[in-house]
Amino acid sequence: METFINPKSLFHLLLLPCLLLYSSIAYNSSPVEAAMHTNNWAVLVCTSRFWFNYRHMANTLSLYRTVKRLGIPDERIILMLADDMACNTRNKYPAQVFNNENHRLNLYGDNVEVDYRGYEVTVENFLRVLTGRHETAVPRSKRLLSDEGSHILLYMTGHGGDEFLKFQDSEELQSHDLADAVKQMKEKHRFKELLIMVDTCQAATLFNQLQSPGVLAIGSSMKGENSYSHHLDSDVGVSVVDRFTYYTLAFFERLNIYDNASLSSLFSSYNPSLLMSTTYYRKDLYKRRLEEVPVTNFFGSVMETIHTDAAYKALSRRNSGRFEDEMSLDQSVHHIKRRMLIKVNDGDEIHDINPEGEEGASKCPWSTFRNKFQKAENVDSLLNYGLVAMIPLLVISTWLVQ
Amino acid sequence: MVLLQRPHILLLLIDTHQFLQCWIAFGSANEEGQQQEEFSEELLVKPLPDHKLLAHFHFQSSAPPSTSNGCHHHLFPKAISQLVQKFRVKEMELSFTQGRWNYESWGGFDPISSSNAKPPGVELWAVFDVPQHHIDASWKNLTHTLSGLFCASINFLESTATYSTPEWSFPPASGNVRYGTFPCEAVCTENLTPWLRLLPCRDKAGIALLLDRPSLYRGFYHSQRLHLTSTESSSEGIDSGIILEQTLTVVLQPNSERAIEVHASEKHVQPSWSLSSIFGKQVSGRCVLAKSSSVYLLLDWGLVAELKFPNKENGKSAANGLTSENFWSNPSFELSVNPDRIFLEESSSHSKSLSILYMFQVEKYSESEPFDIGLMWKVPVAWLCQQTPLHASRFFMGSGNERGAIAISLKSTQFTEGFMSANSKDGSCELRVDVFQVVPWYVKVYFHSLRVFVDQQPRAVSDFIEKIHVSPSKDKMSPGVMEVVLKLPCRVNTAALTIEFDKGFLRIDEYPPDANQGFDIPSAIISFPNFHASMVFLEDDSLNRSPLLSKFQEKCPVMSYTEVLLVPLTTPDFSMPYNVSTIKCTVFALYFGSLLNVLQRRVAEEERFLKAKAAKKTGRLPLLLSKLSAKLRGSGINQD
Repeated sequence: METFINPKSLFHLLLLPCLLLYSSIAYNSSPVEAAMHTNNWAVLVCTSRFWFNYRHMANTLSLYRTVKRLGIPDERIILMLADDMACNTRNKYPAQVFNNENHRLNLYGDNVEVDYRGYEVTVENFLRVLTGRHETAVPRSKRLLSDEGSHILLYMTGHGGDEFLKFQDSEELQSHDLADAVKQMKEKHRFKELLIMVDTCQAATLFNQLQSPGVLAIGSSMKGENSYSHHLDSDVGVSVVDRFTYYTLAFFERLNIYDNASLSSLFSSYNPSLLMSTTYYRKDLYKRRLEEVPVTNFFGSVMETIHTDAAYKALSRRNSGRFEDEMSLDQSVHHIKRRMLIKVNDGDEIHDINPEGEEGASKCPWSTFRNKFQKAENVDSLLNYGLVAMIPLLVISTWLVQ
Repeated sequence: MVLLQRPHILLLLIDTHQFLQCWIAFGSANEEGQQQEEFSEELLVKPLPDHKLLAHFHFQSSAPPSTSNGCHHHLFPKAISQLVQKFRVKEMELSFTQGRWNYESWGGFDPISSSNAKPPGVELWAVFDVPQHHIDASWKNLTHTLSGLFCASINFLESTATYSTPEWSFPPASGNVRYGTFPCEAVCTENLTPWLRLLPCRDKAGIALLLDRPSLYRGFYHSQRLHLTSTESSSEGIDSGIILEQTLTVVLQPNSERAIEVHASEKHVQPSWSLSSIFGKQVSGRCVLAKSSSVYLLLDWGLVAELKFPNKENGKSAANGLTSENFWSNPSFELSVNPDRIFLEESSSHSKSLSILYMFQVEKYSESEPFDIGLMWKVPVAWLCQQTPLHASRFFMGSGNERGAIAISLKSTQFTEGFMSANSKDGSCELRVDVFQVVPWYVKVYFHSLRVFVDQQPRAVSDFIEKIHVSPSKDKMSPGVMEVVLKLPCRVNTAALTIEFDKGFLRIDEYPPDANQGFDIPSAIISFPNFHASMVFLEDDSLNRSPLLSKFQEKCPVMSYTEVLLVPLTTPDFSMPYNVSTIKCTVFALYFGSLLNVLQRRVAEEERFLKAKAAKKTGRLPLLLSKLSAKLRGSGINQD
């Protein structure tokens, strides 16, 4: 027996540090390099119904216009409008929506593509869009087809309160729901970075439960504060824009697609005395420095350009086999297999940086075994540590009780 | 070896030769057949009696059968052909409408009103070329696809509770048809834009350039319709491929500032208008991809009768001299552009006078010289449009939140009087009326309670109803459908159908967000299959027909839609679940709290403990410390 056990344990002992070192390298390096920013998406939601909430639709449409102007195409914008204001019978200006009383800009121009509207704007559909769990019949234009290289802007406006946002005056989106959806998105590799921008009363409370890395959140007001509308249009008869969105737009109107204004300059542009509320940023989940992140990272579609001397070389060098562009048939098969493996291992991404010439097929079972083994080891040790830690506690307590 | 190889080469040669022959033959057949994709754009403008203006845009694209050129298209929208191929759609019609067609003053007996007057909201019907058990799946997928294509919530029609299967009363009568309406759907720019994207020139050139959104949606009625027919199966000899017909019908008020200036005595003069004044835009040339591009001005026969053209009496001779100036220089109105051609309607039995159609070719105009027709009225004219045989309206009866009745009333119009006098010599003349009514499941209709009133007298149902088909509603499963064929005497003044219902209850999550607004009951379709609205215009070249005019010639039965009804259902207090759970929790807390208190409490011990506590007022930490020290000293604290 002993002769049988000894070599195995020795093998374990030898293997373990190597594995740990290797996996830690892989783990640390891969998320950074794993996905390059490749595309931009925007989900713009107006959750309120009824005519007197005109301003919420105007808010959403203003943002829609801005992101379109800064380069996100219509097929990558999911626009949800809970009611029809443009052709509402109460609208004196049919097929037009304004966000300013000077009526200089018709937000509802000729090319608005509303993906969800009216009764379709529900919490269920919203969460379905985020998590991507649709019925098979749902057309592509109604899906958020983002991937691990996507930067997503999620803008929501409506009536909210402490840790909730009302949808259509009949149901609520809780902060837990939002956090869960974001977590699912992260697990499903549906985004690289996510900016959540919320213009409601007590908007900051909606972010309380967020945990996923790569998420940045801006709310228009702190807990206990209201978000106010900016001004009333006496022709339209209702308020046409909210303060937070108004000043956000004021910031963006000065920009074009080539500007390098950073997110921190956007955040510092909000003046609490003008807003009549305090904007709140949650940036503890976001790793990059806000001074270095241009706003077009989320509000536009500006990709990082990589200059290459020869075709394809630089990409593959940079991404260490993740974006293999020399797609010969067998390589692509390996690639797919590897990607599947990544999904199975739940983010534990393992790549062979040194192409030693191992076959992909033989690689797969080896690494899965290695992983399982490693996990089993971890669980065991954890259990052991736990048991050891329990003993003194038990001793002390029994001793005290007697 | 050589011998063996030779036949092979020979075969190869023969093969290639045959192939080449085939290829050449195929190519020439393709050229000869002239199976080309075609597109045409037309606009028809018609003054209406109530000082309004009807503009009817008609775009038609056709694609040859897909076998001839694969799945490549150069004019025909790819999205539509893919949709037809994927879901095997034989025929389909989708309409988005806002406003209600005013049958009384805008007419109900002409091709435009019977095929383009649509119920408010979305109406969709489709005929599928798939086996019976696949139809529902195809329908579901089709609704989703269309909702994505047209930015609308058509996908609400996917659930079985919203659509129905008309048996025989619906025009393309067959079992494969599905019909659904969604009356509360809003119609706006976002629906029009994708519809325009199906046109080869979009709204960038040609007649579609006129479609200025704010002026369109300012109108009293607008209905945007898409109709497609496909003959994909080559079982029949003639293959027409797919024909896509897109129409947009708007009723606008010409905003005539001049009319306001004109003093009160001339108030009855029709407002003068021009295309640029009603749409704010002009047509600068045609869409170059269109085969034909023309604008028509239609003067209704009622109007023509009032206008008293110089040689009205000898209409036939006027038809021969079409270019005679008599028709467009008239003492009562003036056209700003000379028409290229004038068509006269072929004499129809029902009318005393003939309609006149002025045609303008857009091809002649360009950017520098845009096309803009205008009509200026000089004298007041008043006329009436031809109406449906019976004017249909629908209303609710009864009060309260429990039950009620739906009534469909049919009233005779001026047309029936004329018709009756014309047919009176026959003695027994009958008027056939088809009624098709879909009722959502939450309005529980009792079909046995159907009653018929003719001339305000209750009559036996069997006397007047020739045929009836009823499929009762199932809760949350399918709507109730009623199809009735009525045979009424021609002399009838009024007829009414009434049917009673109970209002159902919905679960709290089935109510829409604005439940207090009420629930819609879709329009009923009243059709008169014995009457056909068609307008035949004398044309010299029948080869080069315009699609719009040939559409007018088709015999389509006269149809009208009734109003949408809004039924208020009892709505619960939507905060009730929260109240209930709050009260429940309070009760439980009180009950269990007190019960536990009673069961667990030991009064004597507590008193003793209090006493002890009063004796030595020591905190928790000192107690623990004392325990510890006692332990260390070796003597345990015994139970006191």
